[in-house]
This record gives sequence, structure tokens and C-alpha cells, in this order.
Amino acid sequence: MSTPRAVLEALHATIVGQDEVCEGLVLAVVAGGHVLLEGAPGVAKTLACRALAAAVGGVFRRVQFTPDLLPSDVTGTRIFDQKTGEFATVFGPLFANVVLADEINRAPAKVQSALLEGMQERRATIGPQTYDLPAPFVVLATMNPYDAEGTYPLPSAQLDRFLAKLVVAYPAIEEERAIVDRFGAGEPPLVANVCTLDDVRRWQGAAHEVFVDAKVRDYAVAIVRASRGAELVVHGASPRAALALIALARARAYLVGRPYATPDDVRDIAPSVLRHRLSYDDRIALRSEDPEAVVRRIIAAVPAP
Amino acid sequence: MARPRPVIAGAAALLTLLTASVSPAWAQRYRTLHVDALSMVADRTRVPVGQVFHIAIHVHVRENVSNLDELVIPDLGRMEPLGDERTVSHARGGTDVVETLTLAPVQPGTFAFLPAYLDAIDARTGRPSRFSSRAVRVTVIAARPALGASVVDAGVRPLLLRVVQWAVGMILALIALIAVLRIERARRRAVVVAAAPVVVAPPEPVRTPRDEVAAALRRYRTSPANGVLLELRAALFAAAGVPAGATLRDALAAATDPSLRAALNAAEQAAFGPAALRDVASAELIGATERWLS
Repeated sequence: MSTPRAVLEALHATIVGQDEVCEGLVLAVVAGGHVLLEGAPGVAKTLACRALAAAVGGVFRRVQFTPDLLPSDVTGTRIFDQKTGEFATVFGPLFANVVLADEINRAPAKVQSALLEGMQERRATIGPQTYDLPAPFVVLATMNPYDAEGTYPLPSAQLDRFLAKLVVAYPAIEEERAIVDRFGAGEPPLVANVCTLDDVRRWQGAAHEVFVDAKVRDYAVAIVRASRGAELVVHGASPRAALALIALARARAYLVGRPYATPDDVRDIAPSVLRHRLSYDDRIALRSEDPEAVVRRIIAAVPAP
Repeated sequence: MARPRPVIAGAAALLTLLTASVSPAWAQRYRTLHVDALSMVADRTRVPVGQVFHIAIHVHVRENVSNLDELVIPDLGRMEPLGDERTVSHARGGTDVVETLTLAPVQPGTFAFLPAYLDAIDARTGRPSRFSSRAVRVTVIAARPALGASVVDAGVRPLLLRVVQWAVGMILALIALIAVLRIERARRRAVVVAAAPVVVAPPEPVRTPRDEVAAALRRYRTSPANGVLLELRAALFAAAGVPAGATLRDALAAATDPSLRAALNAAEQAAFGPAALRDVASAELIGATERWLS
């Protein structure tokens, strides 16, 4: 019987460093949520997603988001079969267990909203019919923070639906040397099928049973509420962020084999839950402040129980 | 009310008689106007060099006119013109034209602005007339080097000096009074100390973090309630050297003693674990804390 730790080890076998990113991806799978990965080109965002999909098994689909993408390119379409004289439904790449939405902010709002329905409702509408998406269903979306030209900023409603946003940073010098050694002679094979989809469903159920004390719950709620009145923040995090904090804290406790969540779990995953849910006022640009520092200040200002 | 000058008006009337049968040039040049008012005033009559003042010229005619180009403003002399604004407003009684000149004198002296005037056919008499305002006299004084000195009139200065002297005297008297009162109070206190010896309380025993943990552990043993558990956990955190509001990881990073680390881990489990684990965690917490205390 496999554990989420096996998936984490499979990711580390492919990805050099990026401990927080690898752990965040596994936690999102265990918590049953979607992940937004942001990082410069070439820092292994897509590779991390592919490695996760390979390790988890199931059906993996990748969609390269472009400005000319249509909603039907994501959800699917109905075509007329001349032989039978009837319309047949062709399912799009959304009907998979792991969907990689590469450069999600390059597609227009219509496509993003089609993806939104899948992410939130876990179903997709093709023509007059609505279909349930397979379970487990995880959307891993990547985004490049630098090339803003020709992009469509994700609406805050869609950002809120991502359980976590992981920042893929440049590797440290030792890690970069290891990357050159590991990938210099071509990309090594991904570690595949370390678990089954039934394992994933079982983890998700078990993580849901992880005990959360009222004090830990209150700590998570206090962090989310602190984001609303924080300096430089125009719009703070929604109650969905508190739910995400608790879900990821449970998943983290389950990952380390602990039957209860602790304040450390909440504090550690809070940046990934908050960073994409806050909008800042213009002073942040005028002061050249790092939004990540604002998030850290909000979390540090709330005393742990 | 503006008054037409009889001499000029007479000359103009003569000119009218001479040229009326041929071509009344003035009739082509001048408009017929009821000029009720033509005034010129300055907002300051004493102006330091470099400071700004205004001259306003006001004309009221009964007719409804869109402009009054006939109005001639006086020569500005050695004044630096900073602005010239003309507003034309219409009311029931005719038209008001206000021309505001913004000027800055460049050298001291007394300057007389000649009257502003306008030439028109007086609608009352039907004759060409010159309507003019009064002259305006402005005295320009040399600029004062000290900031604010210009606003203090020479006549006011001795009075101001007297007020300042009085205020300084009052402040010095107040300081002297306070000093006398303090000396008196200190003298009285010294007398009291000498009369009644102060009973000094025995010093509070200094409680170390270890003492706090021991006290919290005693309370927890007798009443293992959640609130007491949190007090014991807080005492253990303090013993590890981390403030309230820190997490277990902070405390473990600061604590080196294995017994203290075990107690911290057990306190975490007892504080946040499910009810089924709390008894075990509680026993582990008491045991580990005792080991650390011993």
C-alpha cells in the first residue's frame, strides 16, 4: 500500500531541490485541490507537474494555453457523425485525472471560465450536456511572471479556486550543478505509477479525518482575517482561504503520519494559500515592496496558539 | 460715476460740427455707451520691492456689450507685469468689465498710475467723451532682509518688545517659584524619612523558568484541564527561550536538552492531538517534564 511520501520521493528523484514545491504538489493531491505554479522559464515548473502526473498514474493531459484557444479545446465538443446521423461527444483534455494548464494566463477569459467550472464544480458542460470529471481531478497550472505582454490576468475568482500558489524559484548553486549533471545527457525517465488512483482517493479520505483542534482552527481563521486589514492590502483573503489552510494543514499532518494538525502546519503552508489571494494597493509599487514580504508580515503578526 | 471732461467733450463736439456733413469718423470709431462707473483701485498702497499687488479697473455700462476694447489701461511704469485678467459679466443693469493687473515693483519710490479711460459717445448727450477713473498712487518700500520683518510696523515694534520682555519675566518668575516649591518638598520628605524608618519588604524570590515549569507541572498534576495544560506548555516554551506566540518548531530549534525537547513534543500532542491520544500524551508530558526538572 503506497503512501504520499512515495510520490514525494518520486518527485525528488526527478526534480533537484525545490523541496517546498514538491511538497506543495503532493499536499495539493492529498487535499484534492488545484495548484498554480509561478516561476521564470526553465525552472522546472512543467517538469514538476509531469513528474507528479507520472507518479500518481491515471490519465494525464496537457493543454498549452494560447490566445486563440477556445473553451471547446479544453472541455470538448460535439461533432456530427454522418454515418449514424447523430451528434457524438468528443471529450476534451479536461477529462483527465491530472490536467496541466501550461501558461494559463495566455488564454482569454472565456477559456479560463470553462476551466473554472471544471475546477470548482468538478464537471464540464459540452453542448447541452454536463458531465462529471473523473476523480481524483487536479489542475496544475503554470504561469510566467515576467512576460506580461499578450497575457490575460487571471480573475480573482479563479485565483481563489487554486488551493495553493507555489513559487518556483531559481535553484541554489549546488542544485544548479546537480541539474546540469542529472539532465546533461538528456532527460531521465520519470518515476511512474508509484501509486494508484485508488490510493489517492484513500489518502484524500484519510486526510479528511485528520483531527484539527479548535485552537488550530482559530489560528488559521485569525491569519486569514489579519490579511484583510493588513497594510498595503486592498482585498484580503476569502473564507475559502481558511478552508484551504485547514485542508492543507490536514494533508501535511497526514503526509508526515501525524493524526492531528499543529500550528506549525498552518504557519508553514500559509504563504502558499495567501499569496495569490491578496490584492495590493499602488503604494506597494511605489515603495518597491515585495508582496511575499507583506504575506510573511501578516503571518508573523498573528501569534500561534 | 465717471464724468466726461468738458474740454475734451467740447473739442469733440466742435469736431463733430465740422465733419458731420461729410464723414463722421468718430461715429465710426466710437460706440455709444452709458458709462455709469469707471474706477481704478490698488489692493495695497505700500508695497515692498518684489512683493505682488493688484490694480483693479472696473467699468459698468448700461449696454450689453461683449467686450470693451475702448478701455485704455495706464502705463505701468517700472512695475513688472505678472498678469492681466479681464472678465466681462452681464447683469440686468448692463455689463461689468473688470480688468485685474498683477504687478510686482522692482525698485522703491512713489508711483502714480495715470487714470484709466475709455473714449465713447456719451449716450446721455450724444457727444464723444472721454470717461476716466482717478489716478492711483502706490508707495514702494525697500525689501526687508529679515523674514517677517516687513509685516512688523515700526510703530508696533516697541510695544511688541515690551510684551516679550513681560512674558520672559513671567516665565523666569514661574521657574523660580517651581524651584522653591521643589526644594521645600524635598526638605519635608527628608524630615519624614528621618522621623519614621521605612519598613523594607523582603525581596521577592527570583523565579527561574525551571521554577515556573515546576509550578505549572504541580498545577497540571492536580488539575489536568486544558487551560492548565496550555500554561505548562507556555512555561516549557519560555524555558526553551522562545516567546509566547511561537510554534513548536521555534521552541525545538532553541531547545538543546533532549528531555526538554521530549516534553515540548508531548505538550504539543497533548494540546492539539485528538482526545484518544491525550491521555498517553499527558503521561508522556509529565514524565518528560519531570526528567528535565530532575
